[in-house]
Amino acid sequence: MRYRSLLAGVAIVAGLALPAMARELTVVGFGGGFQDNARKHLFQGYATATGTKVVDDVYNGEVARIAAMVKAKDIGWDVVMVEAPELVRGCQDGLFERMDWSVVHKDKFVPGGTTTCGAGAVGWGVALFWDEARTPVGPKNYTELFDVAKFPGKRVLRSGAKMTLEIALMADGVAPGEVYAALATKAGQDRAFAKLDTVKPTVIWWKSGAQPLQLVGSGEAAYAVGYVGRTANAAKDGAKYPLLWNTLLYSFDFWTVVKGAPNATEGMKLIEYMTDAGPLRALAGDWAVSPATKAVADDPTIKAKNPGMVANHAGEGLSIDTDFWVQYGDDLEKRFAAWAAR
Amino acid sequence: MLLTLPAVGLVVVALLLPLIYLLCTAVRDPELRATLPRTAAMLRAWDGQGLPDEAVFAALVEEAREAAEGQRIGGLAQRLNFERTGMRGLLLRAAESEVAAPYAMGLPALDRNWADPAVWHVLRRASVGVTPLYLLRAVDLDMTAEGDVAVMAERPFLPLLSRTLWIAGMVTLLCLVIGFPVAMSIAAMPPMWARVALGCVLVPFWISIIVRTTAWFVLLQREGPVNSVLMALGLVDHPLQIMFTRFAVYLAMVHVLLPFAVLPMLSVMRRIDRRFARAAASLGAPAWRRFVRVTLPLAWPGVRAGGLIVFMLASGFYITPALMGGGGDQMLGAFIAEYATASLNWGMAAALGLMLMAGVAAVTLAGLGLARLALGRAA
Amino acid sequence: MRFGFAAIVLVLLAAPLLAVLPISVTSGTVLSLHLPGVSLRWYGEFFESSRWMLAACNSFIIGCSTSVLATALGFMAAWGMWRAAPSRLLSGVLNLPLVVPSVITGLAMYFAAAAAGLTGGYTGIVLAHTVLAIPYVVLTLLAALRRFDAGLLRAAASLGADWRVSLRRVVVPSLGPAVAAAMLFAFAISFDELIVALFLAGPGQYTLPRQMLAGISDILTPTICAAAVVVSLVSVLAMGLASALLRKAG
Repeated sequence: MRYRSLLAGVAIVAGLALPAMARELTVVGFGGGFQDNARKHLFQGYATATGTKVVDDVYNGEVARIAAMVKAKDIGWDVVMVEAPELVRGCQDGLFERMDWSVVHKDKFVPGGTTTCGAGAVGWGVALFWDEARTPVGPKNYTELFDVAKFPGKRVLRSGAKMTLEIALMADGVAPGEVYAALATKAGQDRAFAKLDTVKPTVIWWKSGAQPLQLVGSGEAAYAVGYVGRTANAAKDGAKYPLLWNTLLYSFDFWTVVKGAPNATEGMKLIEYMTDAGPLRALAGDWAVSPATKAVADDPTIKAKNPGMVANHAGEGLSIDTDFWVQYGDDLEKRFAAWAAR
Repeated sequence: MLLTLPAVGLVVVALLLPLIYLLCTAVRDPELRATLPRTAAMLRAWDGQGLPDEAVFAALVEEAREAAEGQRIGGLAQRLNFERTGMRGLLLRAAESEVAAPYAMGLPALDRNWADPAVWHVLRRASVGVTPLYLLRAVDLDMTAEGDVAVMAERPFLPLLSRTLWIAGMVTLLCLVIGFPVAMSIAAMPPMWARVALGCVLVPFWISIIVRTTAWFVLLQREGPVNSVLMALGLVDHPLQIMFTRFAVYLAMVHVLLPFAVLPMLSVMRRIDRRFARAAASLGAPAWRRFVRVTLPLAWPGVRAGGLIVFMLASGFYITPALMGGGGDQMLGAFIAEYATASLNWGMAAALGLMLMAGVAAVTLAGLGLARLALGRAA
Repeated sequence: MRFGFAAIVLVLLAAPLLAVLPISVTSGTVLSLHLPGVSLRWYGEFFESSRWMLAACNSFIIGCSTSVLATALGFMAAWGMWRAAPSRLLSGVLNLPLVVPSVITGLAMYFAAAAAGLTGGYTGIVLAHTVLAIPYVVLTLLAALRRFDAGLLRAAASLGADWRVSLRRVVVPSLGPAVAAAMLFAFAISFDELIVALFLAGPGQYTLPRQMLAGISDILTPTICAAAVVVSLVSVLAMGLASALLRKAG
């Protein structure tokens, strides 16, 4: 009896009194093949170089989860990868630490590769794809993707205003160069939502980058707009997914440190390592990465080796406008959520 | 009696008081007072006529600058933007600008919205510390610049509430209709078989809801086994779209909640004296009449308990609809969780939570009343 | 034939769960029953992933603490209610966790935990799970106590046994199995609980259900199916043990 009550006591104490244990340096990205390769070359590379253990986690870019940590003063992540507009807004809102440019060398980045709270990581893009094994002929552009009569079946789009509204306007015939001017007006926003109304019953919305591949790969959906890196990788593994570079929407992701993160100092050093040319060259050997580090981004041999680099197709696609989404993101995302739930 | 106190105390502290706190969160409005304390005090003293004077403008710019420098202006920017679109940018630009005194001239020059009394009325209302805004928004109402109540142009939440209650009600009904004969059968089974059957009911009961949802996800795909069987039987000639429909939501929810309906009904039915039904039969009552006049009234406590539990659980469901349903199948719980943990708009989360509780309570009372009426008439 | 409908429903209740089994041994990356080949890679992924192992660890710590705490409090409450019929108010409060929709419970506890500085630790989530488990523990123990003969206690006392002796010789033998079952129920409730964990657990306290949700909504590899198989086996074993104990208790 005494033994058992002792055991019970230990269990309660273990549960109630365990302090938040000193946490390992935690870096969080969007998952997928990029993160698998970044784990090998960037995270573990840093761990080997410094002897600091690095663990990684996955999220879907919901900065709100970071905001919740900061608000609750329980910071579970140190270094995170964020999209550009979220970085700018989160910086204003106090979710991210200001970059320590004495640790991270500011001059190694491409123009626009640094902001107050972030250092440029890699370029990324989304583009249209489908499974040619199931659907031999698919839509060649967004106008065709929105042609429900000609292309039956489900289509997979991102659950959110960003990217989806641009796609809707381009589908409606707006030239890529005029998309943001149009979206800045009430009429343009209404036009985008009206265009989305025409396909709404045939759309499956994705939240995580793994979903477009799962939905197309299992035959649940016919066409999807998903991350090009993952699509290209699935194609390399034998899937018949054509990549349509004329449907590319691209931007840069940034590395940043969560405000008040217990490993903030170590995090800055990790960012310096992850944006250095050496580790990034090694990474580019395994994955078609488009880094924001000048020496690697401009390297002709790397560009030739990785035809799938987003940077190689910038001319064909639409650059996602960070300033636009900083200014209009809040309201358009709110409208999108209400629209999608109807 | 004293022995019950620790448990009761814990429930009070960890659930009852938090529920009351939730009530307060729906009307609390702390951001402006916390972020711009001097400005808030001055705005409370302002009579609301025309525009406030230079001192208020100056306090606002100075305090906003300090808050922006300390990276703690985000909460206020979000709170103000929630009431009036554009306030976020307005406030942040003012905080980051180089505007110098006199600010009453400088700010409107920076952005002419600062000369709009409506903007200042929003600020003044936010300085009080208590607001009806969240509760109004939860029922799709809004406050005008003058502080009057108006109807929102977009009405997202009331339809969402009715959808939530409708889905929960349908699931409850389905669980009772399916669960009742199952419980009857188990109650009538020989003990050995009854134990096996009970095991079948209990096994899914203890398996994580995510596992069960994943299983349906796999089964219901276009190229999944359910569609294959339907095609092989020649019932359909092309795969049906089952995933991401209301049907998938009902199926998965009924699957998850059926044991909660069966167990209470079973425990009551086991105690029913079967001689009543036999007596009714011997008196020549037809089967449906025996059911309505004898079996159902005797089993009623179990039906009521099962129905209540299922309805309560179903109305709080949102993970299953999020994973199995389409955009039009999402339930209020998803928005409550989204506001609480993602948008960090706690006032709105609390207001929607209160609305859900009120809706659930109203439907439960109405449902119980109706059922009693129907039973009374039948008997 | 009388039980045909019930049999069909019961099979439909249990059978769908088997769908995750084949996918857990797929060699492909897509959640589909068209397996390209068979491999144990996803089980390897599960057991080697620090995230999943941390989640398993957390689930056990939180589950055990909840189980002990809820059973201790629930036992006292059930004993008190057995000795003297409780007021409606008291039993109403104890059953409160059963009648509040889980999303509201999670939300209210989340606000309270934030106000008390208990977010992102084990304390908040253990207390929350304890509250959720108490009604089930009390119900289980009250049912056992109703069959317990209070005369035994008086007999023991009249034979000169002090409370320690009668606890060991009378209460434990007749109520022990029910208490053990209650502990297992409380453990299972905590082990399976998702919504409150969703609100209260920071990344350091992810439980298995929480990690499984991340698995199906963020990461989406067949690891989720391997995890499902392992976790279900644990739950079903705990459940089987609990009902065996209850049967022994009579």
